[in-house]
Amino acid sequence: MGDEEVFYELYGEYVSLREFGVATLISTILALAFYFVSPYVANLIGVPSAGLSITLGAVGASVGFFISVFLTRVKRVIKEV
Amino acid sequence: MDPLTVLLVVLLSALSAILYIFIGILPGTDETATMAPILLTLLLMGVDPLLALVWFAASIAAFKMADSIPVALAGIPGGVMAVPQVPDALTAKDAGLADTILRKGIASSVVGQFVALATTLTISYYLMPLGDWLRATDEVLPNVKVARWFWILLIGLLVLALTSRNKGLALISIPAFALGVQGLRAVYGRSVYISFFLGITIGPMMFELLSMLHTELKKTYERKGLKEIKLAKIGKIPLNPLKILTREEVAQSTLWSAVTSILATVMSPVGLTILIGDLLRESKKDKVRGSVLAYTVRDAVKNATYIGGTVIPLLVIGQPTGPMAAGPAMPFFQKLENLGMSARDYLVTHYDYLTISLSLIGASLIAFLIAYPILVKYSRKITVAVFRRVPAEALYGLFIAIVIMLSYYDARIAGVFGTLIISIVSGALWKLGVSLGVLFMTLVAAPTLVAILMGLPI
Repeated sequence: MGDEEVFYELYGEYVSLREFGVATLISTILALAFYFVSPYVANLIGVPSAGLSITLGAVGASVGFFISVFLTRVKRVIKEV
Repeated sequence: MDPLTVLLVVLLSALSAILYIFIGILPGTDETATMAPILLTLLLMGVDPLLALVWFAASIAAFKMADSIPVALAGIPGGVMAVPQVPDALTAKDAGLADTILRKGIASSVVGQFVALATTLTISYYLMPLGDWLRATDEVLPNVKVARWFWILLIGLLVLALTSRNKGLALISIPAFALGVQGLRAVYGRSVYISFFLGITIGPMMFELLSMLHTELKKTYERKGLKEIKLAKIGKIPLNPLKILTREEVAQSTLWSAVTSILATVMSPVGLTILIGDLLRESKKDKVRGSVLAYTVRDAVKNATYIGGTVIPLLVIGQPTGPMAAGPAMPFFQKLENLGMSARDYLVTHYDYLTISLSLIGASLIAFLIAYPILVKYSRKITVAVFRRVPAEALYGLFIAIVIMLSYYDARIAGVFGTLIISIVSGALWKLGVSLGVLFMTLVAAPTLVAILMGLPI
């Protein structure tokens, strides 16, 4: 990654729009996939699906976050002063 | 409280503290955007509201203690509430006092949280009988009944609008935004809440993001190279908090924590943090001493306003009357389908005052027992690790995914687009100088405001 690569400042952080899109897509797909699978899981384990859908959706989004950490790069450079 | 509940209180407080240490240190993590969706998720998952409250109190303790760490070390705020501390941190850093403000901030957070808990729990106990009176309604216009608490909310809303950067727009946006919200609700055919709330929460980020779809505007966000962060070196910090603060700092932190915890019932925590810090800085002739005192007391005020802004509306009024209650703590006040009532109503009808109070104090104690030594000993290492390992893209992607999922849960695909339009409007108003707190409070006031507007004879 060259020092002169162009990024975009979003909410005080430098981001690559392509990486941001990839991370958002992964987390969203996993969140919704887990969310939609939840009624079948709830049926399987015999619990109400309402609460489980949010739980599994949040788990899916978190899995997406951990995958994204490896697929995206940090745009900060730390200098000791 | 049964042993299992006690165990869950300890576990959730500890988990929340650990999670919010990292969220607090992460730059650009807005409090409402990070606290409210997680709280809402917990409540929708069916977590007992008392345990959700425990989680929330612990998150305030850890988040507000940790968000000033990157300020002290690098001049970068870890959350919106830490922004007012930046100028004083830079003054102290230039004077070689980065480690001084770091340890003073951590210690005064503890003072702020416990003084606020003692103050607001005592006041709430004596004011609780007023709750029924506040929830009663009066007919102010033909066929328009208004609950008495609404007037407290309206005062807070007007105070917040008048302290916004763009006062005029903030004031006229109140009825306009209320009409927009109620209009969408009428289209949906039901009182949708979560999508609108999340829309406001992510408004600033979405507005900046969508601005990049415009070629000319996109150029204004362009930055070349990596973001350089200058991190100050720090010395060894004593673990005993009593050795960290001077008598004056303890006295000022105690006094202002008590005062601001009450004022936060209707006033903005950020506004109060700015006001008190500026007053204290100007009271000292020596610029560096003034900045260190302002920085220290602001850390206490941050915790105090978050606690006060939650506890009094939660236990006494039963409605979100201030920006804190209508922001990060808002999920407590909304009716939840799985409970058949709001988490707040569940709390006060299923638990006695002592249990709620002890849970809040216990959660804070556990959070500080975990966060305090970790931050005193490893704050610099954690900051370096977070700055070097966690890409902003992954974090923002997580937030957006959770928002999309919860919006879908709320109103299916229409909920997702409802969130989008509300976020664009909120982001634009925020960019033009309207505090997001005004929009959160308008969301709460919208049904009554629109009823009054439609009932007016003009």
